[in-house]
Parts: sequence; structure tokens; C-alpha cells
Amino acid sequence: MNTKYLLAGIIITIIAVSAIGLYMFYPRSPDDSGDYIVTVVDDSGVEIGLKEYPNSVISLAPSITEIVFAIDAGDLVVGVTDYDNYPYDFSEWVQAGNMTSVGSFDNPSLEVIVSLDPDLILATGGVLGETITTLRDMNYKVVVLDPTTLNGVLDNIELAGKLTNKNAEATSLIDEIDSRIADVEEIVATADYIPTVYYEVWYDPTSLWTAGSQAWQHELIEIAGGKNLFEDQDLEYFLSSAEAVIDRNPDIMIVPEEHGVNFWGSFDDIKNRPGWETINALQNDRIYDIDSDLLARAGPRIAETIETLAAVFHPELF
Amino acid sequence: MATNEVETNFFKRASKWKFIIIILLFALFLTLLLSLNVGYARIPFAEILSIIGKQFPFLDKIIDPSIISQTSPGIILQVRMPRIVAGALVGAALAASGVVYQGVFKNPMADSYLLGVSAGAAVGASISILFASGMPIFGFRLVQVAAFFGALIAMLLVYSISRVGSRVPITTLLLCGIAVNFFLYAIVALIEVLAGDELTNIVFWLIGGFSNVLWFDIFSVMPIILVGITLSYFYARDLNLLALGEENAQHLGVNVERVKKVLLILASLVTASAVSICGLIGFVGLMVPHITRLVIGPDHRILFPASAIVGAIFLVICDSVARVIATPFASTLELPVGIITMLTGAPFFILLFKKKKESYAL
Repeated sequence: MNTKYLLAGIIITIIAVSAIGLYMFYPRSPDDSGDYIVTVVDDSGVEIGLKEYPNSVISLAPSITEIVFAIDAGDLVVGVTDYDNYPYDFSEWVQAGNMTSVGSFDNPSLEVIVSLDPDLILATGGVLGETITTLRDMNYKVVVLDPTTLNGVLDNIELAGKLTNKNAEATSLIDEIDSRIADVEEIVATADYIPTVYYEVWYDPTSLWTAGSQAWQHELIEIAGGKNLFEDQDLEYFLSSAEAVIDRNPDIMIVPEEHGVNFWGSFDDIKNRPGWETINALQNDRIYDIDSDLLARAGPRIAETIETLAAVFHPELF
Repeated sequence: MATNEVETNFFKRASKWKFIIIILLFALFLTLLLSLNVGYARIPFAEILSIIGKQFPFLDKIIDPSIISQTSPGIILQVRMPRIVAGALVGAALAASGVVYQGVFKNPMADSYLLGVSAGAAVGASISILFASGMPIFGFRLVQVAAFFGALIAMLLVYSISRVGSRVPITTLLLCGIAVNFFLYAIVALIEVLAGDELTNIVFWLIGGFSNVLWFDIFSVMPIILVGITLSYFYARDLNLLALGEENAQHLGVNVERVKKVLLILASLVTASAVSICGLIGFVGLMVPHITRLVIGPDHRILFPASAIVGAIFLVICDSVARVIATPFASTLELPVGIITMLTGAPFFILLFKKKKESYAL
């Protein structure tokens, strides 16, 4: 009998303690409705309101750091990831003690973020979704910038401007990007042929990653006067077979430097892939090495990316 | 005379067991306290103690708040403490259910993931990550709820497939568990290939880690884990008898089928809860029971509670290592704890096993 009472006592205690804990730590947002000076809806569909403009911002992605610095809000940034290298070499800043690294891009350190006590955190979809949820549960203001289109990138710039009270700077940056893109479009419109372009996002010995029509790079390729080899694939990034690439016979191949090539082999290894020698791009030696930071970051340099691509696709026009 | 001797032996043993448990609990307490010091931010121990003291009534009056910096309380109370407590809870859960599985199956390869619990959780988690992992359900995260129920559904599936009449033969259960595990992992692999951007999220979940654990997550699984462990402990004597073979146990008065069923369900609930907050952390459920058994012997009445505490200590230490091991290379990089448990645990086990292998039996 004694054991039974003991057992019942233990179980009731455990459940009571847990219930109190659950009640105490139930994720609730602080009651601060009303009087926001700025409210935005981010790319994850969440509405975020700020009562005052932030004095400290953590950027959780290289593309976001580029945006924030491009709209002249760089002095607000207190934390970046290990991958941020533009417009400044931030690893040097970190070593000199002028900047804090919050760790890797896909799994930043919660402890470092908390120790920086930021007013605003700008994250991208590439960051662990769990991290974003956790930070929001801890009542940090987290805005997700995760564009899937070119317009999305421009919207993100506008959003960043709103949040940091740099609206004029953001607008002029957007105007500049728009006009540079318009210039490219004007020149490319005179082209008499549109090459098919195979964009190899990533290569490792077992798989080829490429972009379908849902990726924003697809749009960039089109604006620059190319035709995405896999435009019929209604996907973002996906695994393609070598056979499909050979069969579709691209006129041009673009391979971001560092995206796999330097890890798994040289540029020449791509040319020597078995069966690939029949591809137009390789026969005409039209395989190009493009800066991976330009191709992979949805940031303020997309106009430069489009100009670079257009010059590669239509050397006769530039 | 003979009865007396048995009695004295029993009391001797019981007091020895009490001693072991007290030593282990003390070691656990020390581990928890020391691991509070481990992390990116350098916070002096006196400051940590002051921050904790501030949380208690009366004590907060006598503590000088001037040594506490602005960001330290957040780091200690909201980041470090939850992950340390979660480490202890999950370590205890996995090790305790490991003991139960090994005891019920009488198989040294059995671990807390055997009945499809891990694979079921992985399927649930990866599907939810693919769609909306952050979506809250009554304050819980979708990925946790999905992992928990995925684990339970997989376990019930294995259990019902292996049932023969009213009996559940161990061999059938074992083989069905393996088959279902393979099947479910194929689904996980399929989801991973289709995941695109979310692939990293899934991979990190599968390795397991505590970097996103908050207090709410802990309290949501604590009742199941602690009640499950407490209830299972009362079957320790039955587990001892089961070691003699199911038939012998039946003759000695154990309701074998019922005990098996209750223990497997309890252990699976406990494992599913643990896995739902931290992902798949390998090794603890398999090896901690063996390590404990090598040191203190196979009697489940001491093996079960001792394994739970050793599991807690082991996982808290591993998580502390995971927090800072990469510091020399990249100042703020954290490794998932699952990597550390396997890298450190396996060599340690082999070392221990080499020393003791002649006398080792389940």
C-alpha cells in the first residue's frame, strides 16, 4: 500500500510541476499593441511592428548584410555570420573585435545572439526554421527576408529601408537596380538568338543540382537574354540527371566558382565528364565560371549579376 | 539461519545501492553546475550563482545586483539552463528506455529506437519541416507534435504487425521493427531529396541537438518522461526475472505478455517525448545501459535508475563539449550534440569492454 501512495505522490508532483512550468513559459507575445512607428509583413507572412527604430541589428545571411550596408544602415549591424564577406571582409572585422560573428549561416549560435541583445534580427529562409521560431518565442523581433523572385529582392530592400528608417536610400538603390536592369533588357532585346543556359547550382560526385522555374536565378537568366535549360520544371532547386543535361544540350553552362567545383575537382573535370563532350556548350567552349556570391545572393548586387550574365550570353552585344 | 543470511545480504546490497545512487546524483548535480559555465559568453561563476539566486524569494534581497551584467541573465536562464536541463532529461529518458528495451528483448543490440520510434519521429518531423515547422499548436511546435505522434504511430504499427494471437513474440517484434525502420527511413530519404531549401533543417533534426530548446519544450515533455521512468522502475524485478527466459519468468509469477506490453509502451512514450524536443540523438540509448552494466552489474533494480542518471550526466557533458569544441576553429560554431555522443561514447565503451569482456553478460 505504501508504495502505491508513494507512486501516486511522485506522479502528482511531477504533473503539477510540469503544469506550472507550462503555464509560466507559455510563449506569449508581450502586450505592446498599438503605437508602432513601423509595421511590416515579412516573407514568412508574419506581421512585425517596431515601436522605435532599431539601434542594433543582427544579419543572419550574407545577402541581408549586403542589403543593409547598401542602404547605408551598416552602422546598426552588431552581428553577422561567418560567411559575410561583402561589402567588407567581415572576418577581419571580427578578428579586430569590431564585429561579432553569430556562427554559421545555417545554424547560428543562440547564446551569441542573446549576448548581443539586438533590437532587430534579419534572417533568411536558409536559416534553420527552428532557430527563427525559437528567437520569436524569446520575443525577439525577427524579420524573414526570403525572396523567390527578382521583385521579391527589390521588396526586401524596401522592407529593410522601412525597418531601419532608410527609406530614401532604399528607394534610390531600387531605382538604380531598375534602371541598370532596363539598360540590359534594352540591349538584349536586339539579340537575334536566345541561348539555352544550364546553371549548375552545385555539383558533388553523386548529384547535379540545378534551378527550375521557381528559383529567382531563373528570372535573372531570362532577363539577361538566356533560356533556362530546365524552365519547364516547376521547382526551385532540384537534382537533375546528367542524361537530362546531355539530352537537352545547353548552348551555355554557368558554374558558380566555389560551388562544389573547387571541392570536387577542377573546371576541366566538368569538360571531361563522360558523355558530355557532345554538348554544344563544351564543343564551343562556352562554359563560364561565375562568382558564386553574385549568383547565390538575393542582394543589392543582382543588377551586377544580370549584367555579368548578359555579357556572357551575348558577348556580341556588349 | 539461512533466511537471516539472505536478509543481511539484501540489506547490505540495498545500502550499497543507495550509496551508488547518492554518488551518481551528486555527480549529476556537479555536472549541471559546471556545465552552466560552458559557452560562448564568458560569465564568471559568481555572476552565474547570483543570477540563479536572484530567482528565489528572500535570497534575491541579499544578492548584490551590481555584478550582474545586462545580457547575462538572458544567456544563463533562457539559453544555457534550458539546454542543460533538456540534456539531462533526454539523456535519462534514452538511457532508461534503452535498459527496458535490452531487458525485454534480451538483446544487447536493442536500443530506444528499436520499435520504429526514431524512424517514425523522423518521418513526422521531416514532413512537418517540409510544410510549416514553426507553426504553433497550443504553444507546441508542429515539428515536435509531428515527431511525437510519428514515433507512437510507428511503434503501434510494429507492435500490431508482430502480434500473433494474444502473444507478441520477441523475435517477430525485433524483425518487424527493423523492417519498418528501413521502410520509414526510405520515406525520410525521399523527403530529403524533395526538400530543396529545407534539406539543412531536416539534416540537423536527424543529427539531433539542443540549440533550440526552450523551457516550454522541457515542461511539455517532462511529465511523460519522468512518470514513464518512475512507472518502469516498478517493473525492475520483473525485468530481472525476464532475463531467465520468458517461460521461467511465467512460472515465477510474472505476467510476461502484460509486463512486456506495459514496458514497451512506457519506454516508447518516453523515447518519443525525448526525441520530439531534440531530434535523433544516437548512442545514448544503446551504450549507456551497457556502460552502466559493465560497472555495476546486471540487476535491473540498480541498473535502471543508475543508467538513467548516467545517461543524464553523459548527455549534459556531451552537449557542453558540443557547445565549445569548435571554438578554436570558428569562434561561435556549435556542433550538434549527436556527433559528440557517438565520437566520444564509442571509443569509451570499447575501452571499458576490452577490460571486462570475460565477465560480461546481459
